[in-house]
Amino acid sequence: MSSLPEKKVGVVACSGEEIAEGTVARLAALKVLNEMRRGQTVTICLPLFLAGGEGDRAFAKFHPTITIDGCDLKCAAHGTETYSGKPAASIVVTQLAAEHGIDGIQGRRCLNQAGQKAVEVTADRLAALVDQVLGKDERQDAAAASEKPAEVDDSSAVCCSCGSSIPVTVLTIAGRSVEVVALPVIFEKLRETHRSPGEAAIRELLETVKIYNDVVPEEEASWREVLTREFTAYCQSEASR
Amino acid sequence: MNQDNQQVVVVPCSGIGKAFGTVAREVGYELCDELRPDTTRLVALSKLVLGDKEARERVRKCPTITIDGCKLACAAKLVRHSGGAIAHEAAVLDSYRQHKELKPDGIAELNAQGKQLARVMAEEIAEVIDALLQGSSGGSHV
Repeated sequence: MSSLPEKKVGVVACSGEEIAEGTVARLAALKVLNEMRRGQTVTICLPLFLAGGEGDRAFAKFHPTITIDGCDLKCAAHGTETYSGKPAASIVVTQLAAEHGIDGIQGRRCLNQAGQKAVEVTADRLAALVDQVLGKDERQDAAAASEKPAEVDDSSAVCCSCGSSIPVTVLTIAGRSVEVVALPVIFEKLRETHRSPGEAAIRELLETVKIYNDVVPEEEASWREVLTREFTAYCQSEASR
Repeated sequence: MNQDNQQVVVVPCSGIGKAFGTVAREVGYELCDELRPDTTRLVALSKLVLGDKEARERVRKCPTITIDGCKLACAAKLVRHSGGAIAHEAAVLDSYRQHKELKPDGIAELNAQGKQLARVMAEEIAEVIDALLQGSSGGSHV
């Protein structure tokens, strides 16, 4: 049985190699991915938005994404917005550290004490933002965390989306070319419950597509028309197999 | 020769999902902080994603060495995308194939073998840097 990839929060760190705050961004992201919100978060290497393929660039369209930048250049935030999709939230380490009175972060290769403190603070903020994006109550999470033993850090198993190729289909909708995310998987799943493109199927199709794609209300009718045509063709193709 | 011509730019990949990316980062630090601090300059790959003017100028003007953690070769692709000419393209996977006993593990914190692999790679690249700066070699263009 096909299944749509589970909705997770994307985390994109700048990993800026030149400054210690870039290392803070990287380590805070890994702490959340591996320990604090393992299973609820996924990451991708920032450069893949330019160096990778369509599937990589669909990352922030598919996953609500939080960016973590080391400095005010905000390479991760701007890069994600330019090449993938607008981040749901963003963190800048230098700003967050200042808010918490953390001064003198040093050691891009091996962080000093201030840097390690900044990692803790940044990871806490990131975890809270993950909960917000997922619509979870932070207090419930904190209570649950206090009842559970700490998870073992298996850092070799970080949930990485590099090269995962989220399927992207280019369709002409409302007179323009649109990259529609996850369409083949949505079709496959929908056909398990609806054998033909009836009214109920199309309604469900549109609602599912809207989860993963930005469908503005004024273009909804065009989306419906194109999706109906594409799903009808898909059903006919499957039936003739 | 101006200051830029006396420096070699090092661009490691920013790989965050695999230990090989961390090795690439470690090689960059080993080169720029320890082995050749006076003749190298680390440039963050994220700046090339952003299209940062200063970073792009640097990879265009200076001989550039890329260090990639996986076959996707983001560092090499982005340096080319930025108009830079790569003097030497290093790949952690290639080095690992030559040093199978040094299997890297750990992303936030590399294991001892991963750190050793980074040192071995950095020493090899340091020789390439010396050759580039002496003008006795054009480097290995891949």
